[in-house]
Amino acid sequence: MNLESIREEIDRVDTSLLNLLNERMELVLAARRHKARVEDPEREKELFEGLENRATPLLSREFIGRAFGEIVRESKALQGREHRLIGFQGEHGAYSELAAQAWDGGLVPMPCPGFADVFERVESGLYDYGIVPVENTLGGAVDQVNRLLIRSDLRIVAAVELPVHLCLLVLPDTNHREIRAVYSHPKALAQCRMFLNRNRLEPIHYPDTAGAAKMLSEERPRGSAAIASEACARLYRLDVLKENIEDLDRNVTRFVVLAREDGEETGNKCSVVFSTEHKAGTLFRVLEVFAGEGISLTRIESIPARPGTYAFFVDFLGSIREKKVKDALERAKKVTSRFRLMGCYQEVKVP
Amino acid sequence: MKNLKLATCNGRPNKRTVIQVGGVRIGEEFVVIAGPCSVESEEQTIGTAIKVKEAGANMLRGGAFKPRTSPYDFQGLGLEGLKILEKARRVTGLPVVTEVTDPRDVTWVCEYADVLQIGTRNMQNYSLLKEVGKVQTPVLLKRGMYSTLKEWLNCAEYILAGGNPNVILCERGIRTFETYNRNTLDLSIVPSIKEISHLPILVDPSHGTGRLSIIEPMSLAAMAAGADGILIEVHCNPCEALCDRDQAMPPHMFEGLMGKLKRLQRTLACLEGDEAIAGGRASLENH
Repeated sequence: MNLESIREEIDRVDTSLLNLLNERMELVLAARRHKARVEDPEREKELFEGLENRATPLLSREFIGRAFGEIVRESKALQGREHRLIGFQGEHGAYSELAAQAWDGGLVPMPCPGFADVFERVESGLYDYGIVPVENTLGGAVDQVNRLLIRSDLRIVAAVELPVHLCLLVLPDTNHREIRAVYSHPKALAQCRMFLNRNRLEPIHYPDTAGAAKMLSEERPRGSAAIASEACARLYRLDVLKENIEDLDRNVTRFVVLAREDGEETGNKCSVVFSTEHKAGTLFRVLEVFAGEGISLTRIESIPARPGTYAFFVDFLGSIREKKVKDALERAKKVTSRFRLMGCYQEVKVP
Repeated sequence: MKNLKLATCNGRPNKRTVIQVGGVRIGEEFVVIAGPCSVESEEQTIGTAIKVKEAGANMLRGGAFKPRTSPYDFQGLGLEGLKILEKARRVTGLPVVTEVTDPRDVTWVCEYADVLQIGTRNMQNYSLLKEVGKVQTPVLLKRGMYSTLKEWLNCAEYILAGGNPNVILCERGIRTFETYNRNTLDLSIVPSIKEISHLPILVDPSHGTGRLSIIEPMSLAAMAAGADGILIEVHCNPCEALCDRDQAMPPHMFEGLMGKLKRLQRTLACLEGDEAIAGGRASLENH
């Protein structure tokens, strides 16, 4: 190992340390939701004892005490301030996180392992908001999310349309000639199918795009690359080998923001979900109501709810403060079963 | 010539190949491809690109992978250079021509560039020719510095036979007993190619002469000889160029050259008009 490669390793460890510190602060904020007060001397004592007992020849008890003293001080300072938390599925750098920041840059994005965790953590009050993708121009509807939306009582308080630009990320100083395998979410890989074919690269499925970037950075598999957002390059110290490798240049994902209560601002768009009886013309009668009021529908999605029945998602333009929308909702309720207004909200389009 | 099934006119002298690159139609209009010999930095490349665009160039050239005579010379920025060229295209809108030297790089260079250049030293690199034959990106095939017309067209045949119909030829000077200039620019090859091949042919007076003072007269001569365009090395600061410093043209000189080319083009059009009239009269007199 020469000095240069040792320094490269040091930089890599520092990046991991920073990411771990960030993760610790996220947990600290989540813990605050369960605590009546910030101060907890008992827990603090326990924490320091546990850490100091793990001293090594390189890490003295005093150093551990000093380093964690600083970390705990900052943690308590963070707990002392008001934070609004928004859960998203995936690792940092995920497109859901970018969408959350586009909606409100003041929120603290909190990574969650699965979509169901996003819903649960908002429902339980651990987080204030959740953001989930509902559809993509290339990949279609996100079934898992729509299934969760049927059962959930959470309100849709905003929607975000985010253009998705995929980047080919590699470890620093990777020779492009050596790349063989490309890790990413199956949908992202599918969106770059022609690019991968042209360059004879093998697609390898990974649960999420940002997770693939993180894995590449930490495990450093040989001859590999990841497809993820440009933000992941900064987060995980990777190089962008090629930007915008998606096969279609217009690739947009639509996200919805969920909360326990309706938002305060006036919406211009509404989402409803309902089921209909299994009889001829029942769906038509619902749509007829909207047509009769001159309301423009922007999305209709049907997904199997229980055996034999379907749930329909309908989005339309309009505000619940308008009379024609109120009337339409009243009348639609009468010709459907389990009709629910999921929210009236503003939609943000990211350029 | 019997093996030149695709590169020659094959009894159809009026059918000429036109290659569309961005908004440029090579083989139909006179194209001027200008830019630095090699991509040295973002600032130098984009600075030069803006200057040549303002002067009226149609395309940008710049080398990222450089085949250099000495292993100690600047070897180019590689893929990093391609990223800079891509950015220069975004800024100026000029399509990008860049050299590919290794068969393993062909598909990657296609991701960033609009035209692949095969340099003079690689004209007969058959594995490289086969690789560029597999893609559809246009290929600018420079003439080998020791090659005959027939050898050159055979190399074009490799690319065409491989399945890529978009081949552009480029004369860049050959080695002769003359040593005053770096090479001897063989302009007689231009009308010769036009006689037997349907492929567009460009001229590179920068490498063809290696001497700044005679690039302009040879550019004008290339146009007069019927070339479909020229390649000119322009550097925003020639004294600091990392390669081919003696033939790098400063932007103000390039602007002057563009002005003269435009005037010559009008003159040539008049000349052709006269000929057409004269030809018409001749045919009338025959009756």
